Amino acid sequence: MLVTGIKSKPVYTPLAPDLSGRYHLMVGHGVGREPLLRVLRDLRTAAPESGARTRVLFVGNPDEQSAGGELFRSVGAADVRLFGREVELLTDFQNVLTSSVMGTRLYVAGPESFMGLVMGLARQFNLNKDEVRAEECGAAARRVYCMHCQTATENVTTNIVQCKDCNRWLLVRDHYSSRLAAYMGVMVDAEAPGERPEVKEVFR
Amino acid sequence: VSHADTIPVRVVAVEQVTPQIKHFKLAAVDGSRLPAFSGGSHIIVVMNDVDRVHRNPYSLLGVPAQLETYEIAVRRMEQSRGGSHFMHDSVSVGSTLEIAHPVNLFGLSKIGRKHILIAGGVGITPILGQMEDLHQDGVPYEIHYSVRAPDHAAFLFRLQQRAADRLKVYYDSSGHAIDFDGLLSTQPLGTHFYVCGPAGMIEVVVAKARAWGWPESHIHWEQFSVPPAGEAFDVHLAKSRLDVHVVPDQSLLESIEAAGVEVPYLCRGGVCGFCRTDVLELDGELIHNDHYLSDEERASGRVIMPCVSRARCKKLVLDL
Repeated sequence: MLVTGIKSKPVYTPLAPDLSGRYHLMVGHGVGREPLLRVLRDLRTAAPESGARTRVLFVGNPDEQSAGGELFRSVGAADVRLFGREVELLTDFQNVLTSSVMGTRLYVAGPESFMGLVMGLARQFNLNKDEVRAEECGAAARRVYCMHCQTATENVTTNIVQCKDCNRWLLVRDHYSSRLAAYMGVMVDAEAPGERPEVKEVFR
Repeated sequence: VSHADTIPVRVVAVEQVTPQIKHFKLAAVDGSRLPAFSGGSHIIVVMNDVDRVHRNPYSLLGVPAQLETYEIAVRRMEQSRGGSHFMHDSVSVGSTLEIAHPVNLFGLSKIGRKHILIAGGVGITPILGQMEDLHQDGVPYEIHYSVRAPDHAAFLFRLQQRAADRLKVYYDSSGHAIDFDGLLSTQPLGTHFYVCGPAGMIEVVVAKARAWGWPESHIHWEQFSVPPAGEAFDVHLAKSRLDVHVVPDQSLLESIEAAGVEVPYLCRGGVCGFCRTDVLELDGELIHNDHYLSDEERASGRVIMPCVSRARCKKLVLDL
């Protein structure tokens, strides 16, 4: 379930081809494959020659990778790069941004925690809302930033989580930081050590 | 901007920098420092001519940090409505003028990672101020400056001193032209470009940038239109209950001001949108010369920018 009504959470809109762009850079994670395939098909229909100027970076498990690679090429993407780990994709993405030129449009699809990291890099390159389109899909698991030791814990699905670095028990707040691409986590039992509310799985 | 907001200034230096362009330095009459400004800003210079008042926008080309004087450059227009001829023929060291506070409608993007500045002729003036800001901030930039011939290259020494190898100069007389396609197709992400020069040049560059996929937010241009002359017409100001006659070589805005009605403005060149005025009644057609209104607004006949636009009509009533 996607959480709504959080003011600090970025609002992403469904992907659509942007024909004002000359180069198309697509970045996806797991279930983000479907929105990217949809926009690739629409792009090919509207501008058949655009595939040659389209590049896809995709991270997924081995099955998602082999199926995705084939599908992306079948809808015209000239350059498809597959990754098994998020960090590998992000490293390549940064290199691609460094060598990309004005006229590029970025399309991002995947879970929120992935989108946040991609958007953060895009922002460093001054890509703005005219140049970036993003669609959120998949797990609602949160990246939680520990306010105390300033590290992030990944894939959090519970209301309370133990920081992977400093072992404090953190209350996962609805306050999202675009800069840190994470939700804020604050120590839940600071005043009464050991007294913690029940841990429930809430972000799925 | 109203008359009360102007600053009295004295001309402290005049230099003919090209056959057509004069460079003026202005200092506050009371000796105080002038208001701070950012690169790309302009001022309105108020000139009290014999039979009328000219109010022309001129870009500030000096160093934004040095506020003892303002610097402007004025090109003598072949078809002058009086303002540029007044500056060239009637203003000398010691003359007093009034200026309005600086306004920036051509500011640099503070988050841009690289800036391409393109100038044609006297369009170099706002670029000079922008160059100073970029130099100060240490942000990468390039200047591409196109002029008719070497003796028309105003402020070349100053540009070379500051920009050094970031400056490229193109002379029409030698057949050199800026390779806009080459320039626009190879810029890294986060580049902004700024163009100031003749209307034809701006149109070409902006169209090419769009064709190369540049988003509007990275395309910046400035062109102050000179209010074009036209047929005389009459206008009724509904709130002021005044009838105003607009003669061929005076703008609608100037005519309204001459009748004693103040209209808010910033640029007087069809760019800023401040003087946008509602049309209450119209029997005839509006002649839009601005760069501000949308096509729909133009076609509606319900709104006009009196600084540069006119009418060919039997009747025109404005909400003023």
